[in-house]
Amino acid sequence: MQRPIKPIAPKQSQYGIDPSSVKTRVAELPGIISVSLKELFPDLPEVIYPGENGLARVRQAAVDALSKVDMGMIKPEHSVNVLASHHGFTLLGGEPYAELLMAVKDAIEQRTGCSEIRLRAGVGMRFRETEEYIKRYGLGAYYSNKAIGVAPVDEGIPIETEIGTLYGIKKAYDADWIVHVHHTDVREVHFHRQVDKAVKPFGMSYARIETRSTYHHNLGPRGANFVARAIFDSEFVQKKFAFAAFLNIAPNGIVGVDVDNDLYAMNDRVTFTGCRYYGKIMTLFGQIDECIAALDFPCPVPYVFSAGVIYANFTGANTDLYDLEAPFPPYTWYTEAYYGKRGKPLLSMILPINPAIKMCVHNYAWGGYPSAFFAEQIPTLVVGQEQADLFDRDPLNPNYMDYATVIRSTEAAMNFAYRATGVRKVIIFDGAMGGINVSEPLAELLEAKAPEVSDRVDHELLPKWLRQRGVDLSVLKQRA
Amino acid sequence: MKLVTMMAQVDDSKCKGCRTCERVCPVLAIKVEHKKAVVDPERCRGCANCEQRCPEYAVAMVKRDRPLQVGVDVHAVNYGEVVDLCAKAGLHPEERICYCVGTRAEEVAAAIIKGARTPEDVSLGTGARTGCTIECIQPILRLLDAAGYDLVPPKGGWQWYGRTATAWDLSEALKEKYKSRGFYFEEDRAVLDQLVAEGKKVVKPDAEAY
Repeated sequence: MQRPIKPIAPKQSQYGIDPSSVKTRVAELPGIISVSLKELFPDLPEVIYPGENGLARVRQAAVDALSKVDMGMIKPEHSVNVLASHHGFTLLGGEPYAELLMAVKDAIEQRTGCSEIRLRAGVGMRFRETEEYIKRYGLGAYYSNKAIGVAPVDEGIPIETEIGTLYGIKKAYDADWIVHVHHTDVREVHFHRQVDKAVKPFGMSYARIETRSTYHHNLGPRGANFVARAIFDSEFVQKKFAFAAFLNIAPNGIVGVDVDNDLYAMNDRVTFTGCRYYGKIMTLFGQIDECIAALDFPCPVPYVFSAGVIYANFTGANTDLYDLEAPFPPYTWYTEAYYGKRGKPLLSMILPINPAIKMCVHNYAWGGYPSAFFAEQIPTLVVGQEQADLFDRDPLNPNYMDYATVIRSTEAAMNFAYRATGVRKVIIFDGAMGGINVSEPLAELLEAKAPEVSDRVDHELLPKWLRQRGVDLSVLKQRA
Repeated sequence: MKLVTMMAQVDDSKCKGCRTCERVCPVLAIKVEHKKAVVDPERCRGCANCEQRCPEYAVAMVKRDRPLQVGVDVHAVNYGEVVDLCAKAGLHPEERICYCVGTRAEEVAAAIIKGARTPEDVSLGTGARTGCTIECIQPILRLLDAAGYDLVPPKGGWQWYGRTATAWDLSEALKEKYKSRGFYFEEDRAVLDQLVAEGKKVVKPDAEAY
């Protein structure tokens, strides 16, 4: 147990309050310490970031990996769209993903002689979010002013697939070639269930509203993951796809860079990493019997991070999110859709939101994602009127403050949460790198439970998870 | 139901009349006239698509002097028709289809029974699809389709393009081809069937519990 790790700093964004208004971070309060992830799970891989010369090491890993991929299809007279997604910029401060995007551009230019290289950065629901990142990380200038954010309401293009017509964003595909730049971080396991995670942006951040709505309403909570594969496998996309470049990330940091012309080979590796390393953290979080969850990160409510796990996944940690036999995570949009007017699930198979979360302290998190369901299900304290006003103005959150209550300061919120719940275990979703900021009683619990969890994942759960996804471990080992 | 508290406001000095705002507005509340965008305050539902996509940053979202309450009363229509229409579209009447506004399938069905013919009509009447404007387009199209209306997108607009496949449309060959990769198509369809069956049992609208 060590001193708290410095949380990710608040960021200037139209989707959050002014960083100067974030007066106190939860990790600064008495009783908060940190636990190293590597101490909890010694088999987590060694990382190149965070660490000394971390960004330079990310760049070198990217240069090395990119040097081995086939770019022979790209001719000097061609155009290339480098496709990115907003999620990558939320990982470990965002700089590593920006560095990879720069390295990709340089490698294409140097190896092919092509100069018409554009960055097209897709978004979730905050349509100008990647515009903000392009400015923050200097990607506009780096890409010779050919970097733009693209949104799912922008002009579309029909794509014929195995399940009929779906729709992509026209500007994502308006080049001879596309290069898919992403990462292995798991993020929304409640949605993708670690099925085709490497392919997902084709059905999401590169896709139009019709496609995304198909994913979230039409095919069911597990079948929906086919949407991305349908688009990626289409003749239209296959003719343009050149290669993929991923930040290889584990819960404790960046392990390296993975580049491949075969996205499905990469997908199997992503599935393995996501299940093995992140599966251990999530299974460990499922052992938490009671806690106060503190949100303190520059992202919308469900996306705030702790140990590589987002809050949305923690709200489902009372179940095994990786077990595909269970149709519904306690939180996912299909689940939310099936809560009736009396506030109860319409189907008995839907389990409640993680009952271990006794209270949520929303110290700092953005709007721009429909979050009322969390406040409906979990008593929520929002720190500061400014943040409450932000949510009241947000078209995606007209009802959030109907369920949450405003409290004046971080200190007052935590003190109230301690007294009201009688709970001393605190988990902070603040993006701490390499560890978790928690209260001492929770640290003790995590350290006590980790060895058994590690053993259970390795010997019982991981083989089942991989089998459910059709991933052959022996093939992965052969490639390693 | 939605309490609309915000509306779009155009800065004429910045607007170049490019029509992007027109093409992304889910309720057709903003139009370019004489090379400048003009907002109809009575139609604007405050989604901010125009503000978010304007390349000139010419649109701002401002607080309304008086909030506007929109919504369709499900008690004002024959609820049996609502249940039938939802079932035909593969939805439970209480299914929440708009995660931002919280609109349920029954309200969209009621709007259609009361005369809505397009997604734009539905959004104007219920407020659905005026939050993120992304995720709920398919269930709205499914309900309109189930009611027998032709789905014709706004001319020249980017609001929406068309209906897509559902769990009930997937071929046996496709399910067989991919069944080992974790998609669970059949099992999910069974869950959705169960939900629709539960929905058919609803006989009257319930009160929203707070």
